[in-house]
Amino acid sequence: MAELAQEQLSFPVQRQNRTVAWVISFARRKPLSAIAAVILIAACALALLAPVVTTHNPNIGNLGEHLQSPSMSHILGTDEQGRDEWTRIVYGARTSLAVGLGAAFVGTVIGSLFGLISGYVGGVLDMVIQRVMDAIMALPAIILLMVLATVLSPSLRNVTLAIAIFIIPSAARVVHGAVLSTKAQVYVEAARSVGATPGRVMLRHILPNVMAPIIIVMSITVGAAIIIEAALGFLGLSVAPPTATWGNMLNAGASSAMESAPWLALAPGIAIGVTVFSVNILGDGLRDVLDPRLRGKGH
Amino acid sequence: MRGYAIRRGFAALIVVILVSVFVFIMMHLLPGDALLVKLGQTGRIPPDRMAALREQMGLNQPLYEQYFRWVGDIFNGSMGHSLIFDGQTVSGRIGDALPITLELGVLGLLAGVVLGVPIGILSAVYQDRPIDYGLRVFSLTGLSLPQFWIGLIVIIYGTRYLGYSPPTNYTGLTTDPIQNLKDMWIPALILGYGLSASTARMMRSTVLEAFHEDYVRTARAKGLAGSRVVYRHVLRNAVIPVITLVGNQTAYIFSGALILEILFGFPGLGQLTYTAILQRDYTQVEGNALVTGGIVVGINLLVDLSYGWIDPRIRYV
Repeated sequence: MAELAQEQLSFPVQRQNRTVAWVISFARRKPLSAIAAVILIAACALALLAPVVTTHNPNIGNLGEHLQSPSMSHILGTDEQGRDEWTRIVYGARTSLAVGLGAAFVGTVIGSLFGLISGYVGGVLDMVIQRVMDAIMALPAIILLMVLATVLSPSLRNVTLAIAIFIIPSAARVVHGAVLSTKAQVYVEAARSVGATPGRVMLRHILPNVMAPIIIVMSITVGAAIIIEAALGFLGLSVAPPTATWGNMLNAGASSAMESAPWLALAPGIAIGVTVFSVNILGDGLRDVLDPRLRGKGH
Repeated sequence: MRGYAIRRGFAALIVVILVSVFVFIMMHLLPGDALLVKLGQTGRIPPDRMAALREQMGLNQPLYEQYFRWVGDIFNGSMGHSLIFDGQTVSGRIGDALPITLELGVLGLLAGVVLGVPIGILSAVYQDRPIDYGLRVFSLTGLSLPQFWIGLIVIIYGTRYLGYSPPTNYTGLTTDPIQNLKDMWIPALILGYGLSASTARMMRSTVLEAFHEDYVRTARAKGLAGSRVVYRHVLRNAVIPVITLVGNQTAYIFSGALILEILFGFPGLGQLTYTAILQRDYTQVEGNALVTGGIVVGINLLVDLSYGWIDPRIRYV
C-alpha cells in the first residue's frame, strides 16, 4: 500500500526511473528470466521486422526449387511448394506470437473479470460462474477447439478467440482464489464501511492487490496458447493457409514432404520450443518476484 | 463426509449437464449440414426425398426438442445414431474407440509419474546444484514442446536413422498384448514426458517444503539416515499434491492422448472425433465430447473424495 501511495505521488519522470530500477533489480535477481525476456523481445522484433530480415515471399514459392535442403540462398531450405523456410518461420512468428499473446491477454482479462465478480459477490452468482468454468475446463482443449474451429471461420481473430475461451476458466479460478483472501482484509472492510460502492471496492481496492496472480497467469498462458495453436495447425484447423503459422508449417498434410525433407519439421518445432521455454522461464521468474506467497510452489 | 460427497456429486452432475448444453449448442451452430455430406456419398437425391430424410433425421425440429430427444437417447444408451454411418449407434462407436484412448492415457499417466516423481525428489535433494538445474531444464523442455511434434520427430528421424517404423495396423490389447504394447510405448512415453514436468515441479516443491517441517527435523535429529527420512516421512506427505495434480491434469492427458493417437494412427477417440468433425457428424461429435467431459468430471470427483481416505486429518465441512 505504501508503495502504491508513493507511486501516485511521484512525478512521471521518477516513475520511469522506478520502472528502470525495477527491471534492473529483476534482472539481477533472476538472470535466467532476464535472458528469456531478451530472447522473447528478439523474437517479437524479428516478427515485426519480417520484411527486412527475409528475402523471399512467405506465401508464394518457386515450384522449381521445392524441397531443397538448407543452402546459402535458402538457409533453412524450402518446403514442398518451393517457399523459403526461414521466411515462413519469421512470418509464422508474426501469427503465432499474435495468437499466443492475444489469446493469453483476452482470456486472462475476461477470466479475471469473472473471477473478480464471482469472488467478491459470492452466493448464487459465484456458484453459477464457477460451475460454468468447471464445464469449460472439463472439455479437453483439443475437443473444445476442434468443435470451435469448425464453427468459426479460420481467421486470425477467430483462432485467437477460440484459444482464449480455453484460457478463461484457469484465469477465473486463480483470481477467484486471490479475491477471496483479499476480500477478508481490513482495508476492504474499511472501504466498505465508509460507503464505497461494490464496483469501486473491486476496482480500487481488490484489483490492484490481485494484479500479481493476474500477470503471472497471463505470462504462463502465452506458452500454452502457442502450443495449442501448433496443435490446431497440425490438424489443419488453425488460421487458413497460405498464411504461415508455426502450427500450419507442421500440418499433417505436409508430413509426406517432411519425411523426405526433415528440416521442415525441425525448424518450426524448435521455434515453438525456444519461445515457449523462454515464456515459461520468464513466467516462473515473475511469479517468484511478484508473489512471494507462491514462492517455491513451482519449479 | 456424506453430506460433502452428496453436495460434490450434485455439483458434478450440474457440470455434466452444462457440458452437454454447451456441446449441443456449439454443434448446432455449425455451418454445413450432415445431410449434404451424406448425400454427397450416395449421389443426387430429389428434393422431396431430401425433405423426408430431413424429417427422419429430426433436423427440422426446434433446437430444444432436438436437445431433449438427444438426452433421451443418452439415457437409452445409444446416444443417437451416427448421421453418416447407417445403423451404427454413437455409443457403439465410442465403445470401440474409447478403450484405446484410455489405455494410452493410463500408460502416459504411469510414464509421467514414473519419470516425474524421481526427477522431483532428486531435484529437491540436490537443490540448486547442477543436477537440479539439469533435471529442471529437462522437465521444463517437456512442457515447452508440443507433444505431437516430439512424436513427429520420433517418426521422421526414427524411420530414417533408427529403423523404427510407426505402427501401420492397430493391434488391440486383447488380440495381442505384446504387439499392442510395442505400438503403444512410444506415444505413451511422449505423453508421460509432457506430464512429468508438472509432476516433477510439484514433487520438488512439496519435498522442499517437507524438509522444513518439524517432524522431518525430529526424524533427522534422532539420527535417521537421509534416504530413510525421504522415504518414510517426506514421500508419504507428498502423495496428496501429486494426486491433486493428476486430477487437474485429466483434461490435459486426454488432449495429449487424442492428438498423439491421430499422429500414430490408433483408431481411438481422437481419430473418431476428428473424422466426425470433418464429416459434420453432429451426433457423433456431441457424444464424444460429452463422454470425455463426463470422464474428466468423474475423475475430478473421485480425486476430491479420495482425500479424506488418503489423509485422515482432512475433514470436510
